Amino acid sequence: MMAADLRPAAGELLPRSTCDVRERVREAAAQAMPLRIAGAGEWLDAGRPVRAHAMLSTRALAGVVKYVPGDLTLTVHAGTTLGEIAHATAAHGQWLTLDPYGGDGTLGAAVATASYGPLAHAFGTPRDLVLGLELVSGEGSIVRAGGRVVKNVAGFDLTRLLTGSWGTLGVITEITVRLRALPEVQTSLAIPAGERAGDIDALRRALSAAGILPLAAQAVDAACAARLELPRRTTLLLRLGGNAAHVRAERDRVRALGRAAEVPTATWELLRTLEPPPWRAAVLRLSQLASDFADTWRAAGTLVERWADAYRHGDPGRGMVRCVLPLGDAVDEGALASIIAAPFAGSCIVERMPPSLWSARPGAADDRLSRGIRNAYDPGQLLNPGILGAT
Amino acid sequence: MAANPDLPTLAERLAAIVGASRVLARAGELRVYSADGLPGYDKRPALAVFPGSREEVVAVVRELAASAVPFVPRGAGTGLSGGALADDVVLLGLNRLKHILAVDVENALAVVEPGVVNATLSRAVAQHGLHYAPDPSSQTACTIGGNVAENAGGPHCLKYGVTTNHVVAITALLPDGEIVQLGNPAGESEGYDLVGAFVGSEGCFGVALDITVRLTRNPEAVRTLLADFGSIDSAAHAVSAIIASGIVPAALEMMDAATVRAVEASIYAAGYPVDAAAVLLVELDGSAAGLEVDVQTVDRLAREAGARTVRIARDEAERARLWQGRKKAFGAMGRISPHLVVQDAVVPRTQLPAVLALIHEIGERQRVKVCNVFHAGDGNLHPNIGYDANDSDEAARVHEAMREIMRACIAAGGTITGEHGVGLDKLPYMDELFSPESLQAMCALRDVFDPERRANPGKVVPVHACQEWGMGRRAEGGGTGRALRTGDRTPGTLPRAPLSVPGAGAGE
Repeated sequence: MMAADLRPAAGELLPRSTCDVRERVREAAAQAMPLRIAGAGEWLDAGRPVRAHAMLSTRALAGVVKYVPGDLTLTVHAGTTLGEIAHATAAHGQWLTLDPYGGDGTLGAAVATASYGPLAHAFGTPRDLVLGLELVSGEGSIVRAGGRVVKNVAGFDLTRLLTGSWGTLGVITEITVRLRALPEVQTSLAIPAGERAGDIDALRRALSAAGILPLAAQAVDAACAARLELPRRTTLLLRLGGNAAHVRAERDRVRALGRAAEVPTATWELLRTLEPPPWRAAVLRLSQLASDFADTWRAAGTLVERWADAYRHGDPGRGMVRCVLPLGDAVDEGALASIIAAPFAGSCIVERMPPSLWSARPGAADDRLSRGIRNAYDPGQLLNPGILGAT
Repeated sequence: MAANPDLPTLAERLAAIVGASRVLARAGELRVYSADGLPGYDKRPALAVFPGSREEVVAVVRELAASAVPFVPRGAGTGLSGGALADDVVLLGLNRLKHILAVDVENALAVVEPGVVNATLSRAVAQHGLHYAPDPSSQTACTIGGNVAENAGGPHCLKYGVTTNHVVAITALLPDGEIVQLGNPAGESEGYDLVGAFVGSEGCFGVALDITVRLTRNPEAVRTLLADFGSIDSAAHAVSAIIASGIVPAALEMMDAATVRAVEASIYAAGYPVDAAAVLLVELDGSAAGLEVDVQTVDRLAREAGARTVRIARDEAERARLWQGRKKAFGAMGRISPHLVVQDAVVPRTQLPAVLALIHEIGERQRVKVCNVFHAGDGNLHPNIGYDANDSDEAARVHEAMREIMRACIAAGGTITGEHGVGLDKLPYMDELFSPESLQAMCALRDVFDPERRANPGKVVPVHACQEWGMGRRAEGGGTGRALRTGDRTPGTLPRAPLSVPGAGAGE
């Protein structure tokens, strides 16, 4: 269950236990030496640039702590990768319904960044999947939040607070997640749509009106479809799952909406991993209400049109579209900056972009409450300083 | 409190905001508010104030902030942890703010004021084929604001998630009077999950002025099954088998023999077999096509675990009757004994058979009659004991049995509350579940929202856990006015109230 090379790289701290993490954090605090918190190092390019003296990696903090399949819960050390978790749970016909984009990152990183993928359509984000966690705060306290049961209101919800806090409130060392049984049958379908934004939106409405409940639904533009080895046109991808009778009935309903071709389940893995490697892409996430999906899709289209080899895909049900802009060796940062700064009516979240462009964006946690929380858990600004902006 | 010279003037100032009839100060009037759904405690508010609009709430809270007076927000008062009790501080009733501000059918969202009753929201959106999924048994009375404060659950949370999974955004009024927008109702938000932190904060982080909730589309088809068993153990094993099969029922509830008999002897008689040691109420929903297979699987798993019969509700009327028996079970229990205490704990689902056996053993040893009616699919136990509070020996044994049951649940890897909240009642168990460092981390979060610790003082985290932390850090707190009485800053531990709970509680 462990990563291949467990020797620390230069400048890397590689703790092997929660107590180890606490010691490293306390030492860093004593020396006022800020730390970059990392898992497997897959997503180090995400978020704002961090000013740190050393990297504290949780990748050696890996493995299953407790797994009772009958409880449908799993407790692992934070450095366990999603691939390792998939392997362990599949043996019992179960899965963790969390499929963030990119390489095989750790659960700790996915939780710290609240990253999610297409399966969020039916199963929600890490905020809906994490039941409890253990962390080491910036002051070197070991804190446990939540628990190993599926329902828990004992005390304030630190679990949700830490999920998506980008390592700025504590180093997450252990996580308990909710699992689900693997569907008895899965089928994936591709429905071709017209090239106008209204066409894909019409499919969204038809899907909802027909009461179809897919595990995942992703609109992909022509460029993305081509990368997925599908015909080069805007397409709605659906992932159906459940017992055989249910999937058969859903598939029939989908086919009543339009021509739907079966595609391999591996298409989803391809969509997850086709992103350029770290440092080689800028990624933006646009979102509005689902009813405004046509506008969001159109705005994303205008954006990707301005960048070579860019593509977009998104979940109509969640009203979200991701724009992936591959970066070559020489990046025209001025052009990129103007695309990212393009006006948009809804929410625009930048997942990653060249470090030099971040200074133009406001911080993600600059409000009074967020500043107060940061100050309460990491008063020395020791953990991932800068990753959420000023704070 | 009459001796406090500040009191009349505060009452007058509040009356100037909400009208004289909406400020209660007389002991007789305040007695109504001396308990919530768990009335073992008798705590009198110093004053009770009931604003009728958002503007009035803001003005009241700002007045309380200016006067540095602690307050306790309260919805319908159906909570079962003593969380809405005001001990000599101001009680802030929010039940008059009951407007549904907006319903967005296409996006399945609603914006509500905190005093909107849970079931009222579902009724209001039913015409659109939608409902609000969290369904506490008290849903005909409890408010969404109260649900948010407690992160309330209910039978159907097994499949659909608890309150926090359904709250998208909150406009919150912090205890110092500042209004903040938490979350983004129309898209994703960056940064810390402040909505997630606020939900379940039991009134300690401020007051929700409006709440944006996600609505759920009504399932295409529903099947409700009733399985009855000759032993509790076989019913518990059936629960474990159903969960392990991977089928996620919409709800999976268990009632033991005493509960079944109490329900059947009441006006809520549901047709449960009175000779059963336990019954399971299983609801499956989803697409019509896939449902029949799941119904057959659950039927088979129940029979393999030892079910004597498995009955499927033939129509909506029969389904409603089966559910009414479950939802009114605590009310029915009230007929049997003069007093009833209801507990709330969660254990891992594979531990149910062992923990139920332990609970039985504890009951035998303490010579008390423990009944079980609970959300079995979540492992969320509600052991309850009927007794006579006037019999001090029996009351002591009931108290001790409950303590032992809670410890057994913690030892099994569980938690001390799944949906009722910590409030006042579960405070003594927080130390057993969390380390001092973890409790201090909770205090630290509370102090960000409420540095003066005036909102629902003395609840959720034991006072002693916050004292230590507060000493070194809290410099900027401290209001300028005179306090009626500050909550958490008063040293010492909270007195443990005698355990005497009148029957027929308001639900869970």
